[in-house]
Amino acid sequence: MSNFQSDRVGRISFPPARQWLFPLLVVAGVVLFAKWVIAPSDSGHLEMSLWLGVSFGALLQRSRFCFYCVSRDFFERRDAAGLLGIVAALAVGLVGYHFIFGAFMPVPRADRLPPGAHIGPISWVLVVGAFTFGIGMSLARSCVSALFYRLGEGMATAPIGLLGVIVGFALGFASWNTLYLQAIQSAPVIWLPHYLGYEGALWLQLVVLASVALVLAWRHQIMPASNTTMWWRKRWPTWAGGLLIGALAALAYLRVGPFGVTAEIGSLARTGADTFGWLPTRLEGLDTFRGCATVIKETLWSNNGLFVIGVTLGAFASALSAGDVVFKKPSFKELTRTFAGGVLMGWGAMVALGCTVGTLLSGIMASALSGWVFAVFCMAGLYLGWRIQYRG
Amino acid sequence: MKIQHYIGASFISTCLAVSAASAADSEFLVSTEWLENNLESEDLVVFEVSVNPGVYERGHIPGAVNVSWHTDLVDTVNRDIVSQENFQSLLRDAGVSEGDTIVLYGDTNNWFSAWGAWVFDIYDVANVKLLDGGRNKWEAEGRTLTPIAPTPDAGDITIASVNSELRAFLPDVLAAAKNEADVDVVDIRSADEYTGKIFAPPGVQELAVRAGHVPGAVNVPWGEAVAEDGTFKSVEELRQVYANVGINGDKPIITYCRIGERSSHTWFALSKLLGYDVSNYDGSWTEYGNAVGVPVANLSGTVWGGQ
Repeated sequence: MSNFQSDRVGRISFPPARQWLFPLLVVAGVVLFAKWVIAPSDSGHLEMSLWLGVSFGALLQRSRFCFYCVSRDFFERRDAAGLLGIVAALAVGLVGYHFIFGAFMPVPRADRLPPGAHIGPISWVLVVGAFTFGIGMSLARSCVSALFYRLGEGMATAPIGLLGVIVGFALGFASWNTLYLQAIQSAPVIWLPHYLGYEGALWLQLVVLASVALVLAWRHQIMPASNTTMWWRKRWPTWAGGLLIGALAALAYLRVGPFGVTAEIGSLARTGADTFGWLPTRLEGLDTFRGCATVIKETLWSNNGLFVIGVTLGAFASALSAGDVVFKKPSFKELTRTFAGGVLMGWGAMVALGCTVGTLLSGIMASALSGWVFAVFCMAGLYLGWRIQYRG
Repeated sequence: MKIQHYIGASFISTCLAVSAASAADSEFLVSTEWLENNLESEDLVVFEVSVNPGVYERGHIPGAVNVSWHTDLVDTVNRDIVSQENFQSLLRDAGVSEGDTIVLYGDTNNWFSAWGAWVFDIYDVANVKLLDGGRNKWEAEGRTLTPIAPTPDAGDITIASVNSELRAFLPDVLAAAKNEADVDVVDIRSADEYTGKIFAPPGVQELAVRAGHVPGAVNVPWGEAVAEDGTFKSVEELRQVYANVGINGDKPIITYCRIGERSSHTWFALSKLLGYDVSNYDGSWTEYGNAVGVPVANLSGTVWGGQ
């Protein structure tokens, strides 16, 4: 039964007997949607993408795998548990991806890249894009993937943030040709196994991740408070979610492709802007790069579109079951701040060919140096944005 | 006892393989069933030539070696097919030795694997066959796929000769267009490309300045050569398809499309299955439609793509 606490904040929570009913209804709705709407036109991996999204969304929600939230925990309270969860996801994903690489391409030949893996060009545009994305995160109080999953938790500013991302993408497309000709065209695409072999690349990055984990553990000051509610209703530790997300990311790469959450939203922006004639007639070289590829939309359903819908629905079902769905009427200031953050994130994700999921997670797992560059400068932008807003 | 049992079993399986082999449609085609029964054969090398990235890696016929059409079968410096030297090392790396049987297959109705078969033929490699129906049929029949790429031991094949007769160049096509040579030209593109209504199919990057076709060419879209399940039509049906537009093999034939890969499919049908004298024009419309001083037949009146 709904229990609205005030006119600004409302929480949906059910008595124990019913807490499974509504999540099951959501899942049943997904099954019907998948079988009746998607399956008839599915010649590829549409249905699988939807379910991968549902699983990813549930894991994000259950373990609070929100890049902004866990970074802020560390900045403000020196609580490193969440960031350690991201490191866990990267380590498991890295191992999983390299298992798969070895099967796909037994030798990392110099003239080839593994299919579809998010290995992007490295130039100052990536640096600026990642930094801008980080600032955007600090304003929106969320990254793009967390907007999708927190939408499932009732985050009222999420839609306006996503709208901002679309606008940011359109601005990114408008600036693309200049940036491409200035820097991106001649930028190196660096895949570490080309230089170190699979084993060398894997060990080096695992050592780097272990070092990051050690530093975080050393700086970590707060132990998570113990929670006495039943296991499902309390949040999972982020490391548990991280391990599962790393494994799920590798499985997704094996069957469909790397995780990413901006391809569909970017495609909507590209199609919309193109329809209104706001884009250059040709986006030079854009479609030749690896990353969260955008296209002019020709079909209603796409793998990535269903994936992000799945993320929101999976998070919704998961949040309902745990009583985590909270509505809070946003102030005008919060709306504008989230929108502005969305615009910055959209522009950054467009020129960096992905976001914290597509470029950072899927890039590092794939041994792409571009993933590491994104991680460093996105974190720098986020820290700066947070300091300015909270420390003055 | 055990050894005899083993010999007996391998004898039976060899007989089965031989009888299955004779069930294949022709010496240039193998059926999906034949291939599945013969995958373990030591003298067989299977290549996948698909155009969509990631298709091979996520699941291919067990033991098949990946050939990247964009880099392995073309010369990346000259606009040309792969050099003799690079082609030889490609085959040796894949474990091809003298006397091996080679089976090619790929996605999109075998277009690029037919292009591969054409390159194999130019370099005079023996025993090259296409998997009839290609990857689509193998998948549709629910046969096994694996994501594990093989690591073959190097083979010892030597590429000794080049058969340029299989290849038509612009002057050959121009001679046909100007009625200076007695050849039939087959344009296998869609009717809209042939008539010049469109410059290229939607979504492709490689375009021509002019739309239309080589004067005198007949239009037989590649799909006319295949049955509903993607396999080639029977020899009799194929003969009829081309006879309907006046092509009966009494003259040399040139096939072309946009970049020469779909026309390889028709080249294969005409030369291998019907035994006609056929060369493929791999420059195709991206060369002809951009060349200066060549006659263009345009039935739609389009001159430029823009105003």
